[in-house]
This record gives sequence, C-alpha cells and structure tokens, in this order.
Amino acid sequence: MDYLADGFFKGISLIFSMEEEVWTAVFTTLRLSALSMLVTLALGVPFGFLLGYCTFPGRKLLRVTVDTLLSIPTVVVGLFVYAFISNRGPLGQFGLLFTIPGMAIGQTILALPIVTALTASAVESMDSRLRFTLLTLGAGGKRLILSTLWETRHQILLAAVTAYGRITAEVGVSMMIGGNIKWHTRTITTAITLETGKGEFSTGIALGLLLLALSFILNWSLLFLRRRSEA
Amino acid sequence: MSMAANPLYEIRGLTCSYGEDPVLLIDRLDIFPGGPTAFIGHNGSGKSTLLKTLAFLLKPLSGTIRFLGGDTEGRERGLRREATLLLQDPYLLRRSVFENIAYGLRARGDTRSLRDRVAEALEMVGLPPDFAKREWFQLSGGESRRVAIASRLVLRTKVLLLDEPTANVDEENALLIADGVKNAWSKGGTVPIVASHDLQWLEGLCARRVTLRRGKIESPAPGGDDHPPAAPSGSTGNRGPAPVR
Repeated sequence: MDYLADGFFKGISLIFSMEEEVWTAVFTTLRLSALSMLVTLALGVPFGFLLGYCTFPGRKLLRVTVDTLLSIPTVVVGLFVYAFISNRGPLGQFGLLFTIPGMAIGQTILALPIVTALTASAVESMDSRLRFTLLTLGAGGKRLILSTLWETRHQILLAAVTAYGRITAEVGVSMMIGGNIKWHTRTITTAITLETGKGEFSTGIALGLLLLALSFILNWSLLFLRRRSEA
Repeated sequence: MSMAANPLYEIRGLTCSYGEDPVLLIDRLDIFPGGPTAFIGHNGSGKSTLLKTLAFLLKPLSGTIRFLGGDTEGRERGLRREATLLLQDPYLLRRSVFENIAYGLRARGDTRSLRDRVAEALEMVGLPPDFAKREWFQLSGGESRRVAIASRLVLRTKVLLLDEPTANVDEENALLIADGVKNAWSKGGTVPIVASHDLQWLEGLCARRVTLRRGKIESPAPGGDDHPPAAPSGSTGNRGPAPVR
C-alpha cells in the first residue's frame, strides 16, 4: 500500500507546485461546468416554474418524464449526443464533437432534469399564503411571477448546486463527447480515469483531492441553503 | 348641511363556496366608511372568507359587491390596491423588514421617500426605524405580525382588512396592534375592517359589529333600524358611528 501513501504526498505537492497539467484540467472543468450551468439555469428555471405553477393538459406526464430523466445514465446521454454531433449526425456540420460546447450540450441534458424537477417541486410546495400576500400587496402579472420565483430562490440555488455536483462528478459525457484531449477537453474526472489507467496515482490523487475540495464547498453551501430555505 | 355617506361596500345576494356547499350566504350587507367595523363569530362562521372576498382575492359564486359605488366585476386587480388584507397567519416575504414594507409601494411604482415612509409605518406599530434592517427570519411571531401590518399601513389604502390580528400574540403585542389599527384610521384615513374572536380587544376599537353564524349575518338583522352615518364635513370623513346594515 506504499504506492497509495506515496501517491497522496506527491499529489499534494503537485497541487501546491501549480503543476500545469493538473490545473489545466481543473480550469477546463470549471469552464465547462460554468457553460453547462448557464444554459441549464436559463432553460430549467422557467420550465420548472411553469411545470410547478401552471396547470395544463399533460402536465402530470411531463412531470413524471422529468423525474425519470433524473436518473438517466451519463453514458446514455453521451451516446445520444455523440450520435447527433458526430460527422454523420444531424448536427455534425457544427463541428461540436471533441469541443467544450459539445460537452456542455451533454452536461446540460444531464443537469436540466435536476434543475427543472427541483424548481417545480419548490414552486409546488410554496406556502399557499404567498400568492394571497403578493396579490393583496398589489402585485400582478410579471411582478407576481418574479416575486414568486424570488421567494423560492434558496430552493432554486439548492437545485443549481445539486446539478453542479452532478456535472462536475460525471465521466461518461466528458469522455465520450470530449475525447479526453490533453490541454483541450481533459477534465478532472477524465484525467483521473486516464492517470489511474496509466498507474500514475499521484496525478490522479491530486485531481481527486481537488474534486473532493470542490464537493466539500458545494455541500457546505447546500447546508447553508437548506437552512435558509427552511427558515 | 348633512347628507348620507355612500357605503364603502354594498353586498347583495353573495354566495361563496370552496366546493359544492356554500360557506357564505349574505343577502344584504352595507359597510359604511365611518369607522372601524368588526366581524365576529365562531370558527367556521365565514369571517375569513368574507374578508378575502372583500379584499377581491376570492371570486364569489354568485351575487354582487359594489365598492365605493362602483361595480367590481372585472376590476379586481385594480381594486386590490384599494383594499388590502392581513391574513390570519400573515406571511412575511423572505427579505428584510424594509423590503417587506416597501414591497407594496414598489408594486404601485410609488417610490418617493421610501425610507421615511417605511420608518413612519414602523412607528405606527410601535417599532423603531432601525428595525427595518432586520431580516425576516430574525423576528418573533408578534414582531412578524406587526411588520405585516406596517406593510399594509404604509400603502394608505381605503380599506385595511385584518383577519384575527391578535391570534397567537401576547398582550403587549395585541395592544401595539390595536394602536396600529387606530392610527390607520385616525392618521391615514384607512377604514379598518377586523375579524376577531377577541371581544375584549375589540372593545373601544370597533363600535360597529357584524355577527356571522354559519355563513350568514346574524346581527344586525338585515333591514334593521341602523342608518348610514351623516356625511363627512370636509374631505376627512365622519368619525361618528357608521352602522352596518
């Protein structure tokens, strides 16, 4: 087991020596997840709000479908997105394969059901007095909708943090769509997979520790947001 | 010169229901703007439903409500800005006390001297101006209720509807709430309409009382000998008794 302890100490020194290969994977992960989250929130929050707030034919079926997509395997998403954006696919002309925007499409598909379902649940479980309160204070139309969304902001942030955790930890989409190209599309998780396969535990452990640190920060903010949303 | 004041509300043949069975059946009720009015009655007598209807938050199943002499059908959104309701268990928006009180003014696009008006509303319910900085989760039950009242008082609406404003508050807070209600009437010219079980608290606050029982008016009897008040001399309105028929 000495190689693990050895890898651990080497990993720590790699982090603090600002090893370029390690930090490039970290920055690629951050860039990719930021892009994915931007699109996910822009689509997921309004869609989740509509699903939780409005009643329309087929709403229940749509809700069950979104809930089902919560557990969609990453490799399945990777497979379908690959099929769509590869040269033979309908979106092949855009050259998205092995690029960060291509990977972001896959990650958005992974994160979208999480933000949509959790936003819809937040809106559904909203205090019934809120609507009366906003109306009696004089809100209507756009202000009524925006104020309702603002009142659920902690739950929506909770949804965003949960989705962020899912996409930073996934391997399937990043590996299949990004191709794990060094300096370009290599993320923390695909780098760990590769380095472990090569027997380079120190780089894998360094990246693993950074991923754990990111996860710790996310969970810490989740704890805070949960407390606020329950206040 | 004296003439009869126009009723604030004229209710005719009102039926409200949450399902199939009606919870409110009012043949005729006029509420005049001469002073605070109280609705009293047991749980389930229809007080809260009546207040929500008067706040234009619930659509009646049938019947008509006229407000200040005008039809209300199809004008509910605008009329909500004239009659605001404090729910039995008030909900504070998840933001600071200042933002809670300023919300209704912002919704009306009226943002003149916000800070001063918020401070004045806080003062009306016995809270200091620096209370505005507190967040919603830093307040006790009684303080939350007083902030909720202040967020209605600041609007200076024609009517302030209060549903059990002293439920679950201590004696001190109940007295401060009573002061706020009196101030709404005496300083703001807002007519308070209160639903309450607390007859002792209503004593000296509401001279006019309507008793509800199982969704119907029990007293004063429809067509009784109450009369509308004398018309206000000047624009401030008559502070004398304003009967409810």
